[in-house]
Amino acid sequence: MSFLYDLITRDKKRKPLPAKDRSNLPFAKLGFTFKEWHDSHVNTHKWRNRRWAFLIFINLLFVVSFALDLSVLEGSLSGSRLIGIYLMDPFNSSQELIIGSRTGYIAALTTNFWIGFFVIMTFYWLLGGRAFCSWVCPYHFFAEMGERARAYFIKKKKIRDKTYDITVKYIFWAGFLLLAFLTKELVFENLNPVGILSRSLIYGPGLALIWVVALLLYEVFGIKRFWCRYVCPIGVTYSFIGDISPIGVKFDLDKCGYCTDCQDVCLVPHELWFVKKGAATKEVHFTGGDCTKCGLCIDVCYGEALSFGFKAPSYILGGEVKEEKELHPLEIEDSSIKKDEK
Amino acid sequence: MAAKNVKISRRQFLKASATAVVSLAVVGSAAYYLKDKSEVEKTGVIRPPGSREEEEFLFACIKCGLCVQICPVHAIKLADWDHGLAYGTPYIDVNQQACDFSCDAIQCAETCPTAAINFQIFKGAGNTAIEKLTQKYNGKLPPNVNPFQVQIEAMKRADKMGIAKIPDPQQCLAYHGHGYKGKLGKTHSLLRPPGKTERIYIDEVEVNRKICDLCVAYCPIGEDAIRLKDLGDNKFLPEVLDACVGCGVCQMLCPTSPKAIVIEPLKELVNA
Repeated sequence: MSFLYDLITRDKKRKPLPAKDRSNLPFAKLGFTFKEWHDSHVNTHKWRNRRWAFLIFINLLFVVSFALDLSVLEGSLSGSRLIGIYLMDPFNSSQELIIGSRTGYIAALTTNFWIGFFVIMTFYWLLGGRAFCSWVCPYHFFAEMGERARAYFIKKKKIRDKTYDITVKYIFWAGFLLLAFLTKELVFENLNPVGILSRSLIYGPGLALIWVVALLLYEVFGIKRFWCRYVCPIGVTYSFIGDISPIGVKFDLDKCGYCTDCQDVCLVPHELWFVKKGAATKEVHFTGGDCTKCGLCIDVCYGEALSFGFKAPSYILGGEVKEEKELHPLEIEDSSIKKDEK
Repeated sequence: MAAKNVKISRRQFLKASATAVVSLAVVGSAAYYLKDKSEVEKTGVIRPPGSREEEEFLFACIKCGLCVQICPVHAIKLADWDHGLAYGTPYIDVNQQACDFSCDAIQCAETCPTAAINFQIFKGAGNTAIEKLTQKYNGKLPPNVNPFQVQIEAMKRADKMGIAKIPDPQQCLAYHGHGYKGKLGKTHSLLRPPGKTERIYIDEVEVNRKICDLCVAYCPIGEDAIRLKDLGDNKFLPEVLDACVGCGVCQMLCPTSPKAIVIEPLKELVNA
């Protein structure tokens, strides 16, 4: 745990790099004003469109596999089988393992269970942990729409935003595991809007949808992204593996114009802490485990400072990265020339 | 200034964690309360064949629905909120669609990743049957004996979902010496009649029986599970025997209303 904590906080703990002065901002280097630069960028929503298409495709594949009796993607998001390979929801499995270790049931679990558990863990480790949230989770899709509705009400000044401490989700994560251990029930699965929605889509709606609708309404009118940000232990499980994932959103300080528009569209803005003027501690930053790899920030960035990138193995394992290049003498000359021209 | 910030964030954190702990406690006690009051625990429900004891089943089942998908006759459904903590778990509504074992391999059990529906029971029973068979013939099976058929028969009988009961003989047509003419069933349900290879829809088949014996004639297990007892005086009554596994085909086909033959979940029998 302390290893993970050090991993998450190590970049923040460093001394920030001095903020770039105006002449060193990417648009100034190109000889534009910020407004010209800003207006020249057309947001094609490339990643958002791809993501929504993929999310709808995956969930439809579940529905179609059952409705048409195809052996493609059977089961639901709690546990499924993709062309014969089992996939298990990691938090569901964790609860199962905790109860199993108490009752001895762990010995009864099938090989398919273990395969499913490790396949899903490896898969999401490769693809950045919480990528599940924005690319697969049907609840996330509705919550994202809810977030838009909320933005509308905030604009109309009907509601106000307030943020809470996100570390509370770790308490929920541990708490739900403890509840499973104490009650010998998959307590969380009865509240899990991901499972409820997935099952409702595939096997037909039920009364449990009331809970999902209530949650969504609370996210619109109560606390912003209440469930996803502060409670959902599935997301937390994925964020643990996301912390050590080789993939992240890469931030290139050199190309950043300090507009922070990316943080405005970000679903987990605390992951983009380094985009604020004078906040970055390194030339290159990666988003951490809470980042859902949704790509909204990449779509919005004017200077292409944000992109999907691979972390160096030494960086994943907690080592420092030797990427602190000094400004090339030629670049310094360049910027001084432009200053003179103006 | 920095110290003040730390203080505020710590207070915020403590506040949030307190809320979290309280809500977890509420959820936990609700779960405990519901577990106590659970309808399923009290009245029993018919689970797929090979399901574990209810207490174990409720935590073993992760509610994925793979058993629902694999069942070729769509007998298995997932429970809704009215089942309390059993929400999302599979059950069989025998009035709508009973398990007729026409998948031939207890596939719901085989597909279950957490072994909440325990395939080991069937695997063991099937293997034992084959072993016994080969021993009987000293390893040389005559061509008219199909080992797979023997295996399937043993697997079907390996576990009980419930047991058939006739609560009131007065309801039974055969008890009054009546026959039955009409559709095999009113619901659009699937059934593979014993000895046949194709499934039929029971509302598409006409039957004509001098004495109504649908429950006996269509039992997937056979005559050691149910037989028609002659009470004399043109009176008959089905008699449920030891081999009955509670699959529910008899209840699905019973033409009377209310049904003369019903499946009692084994749960209640254990408690009684």
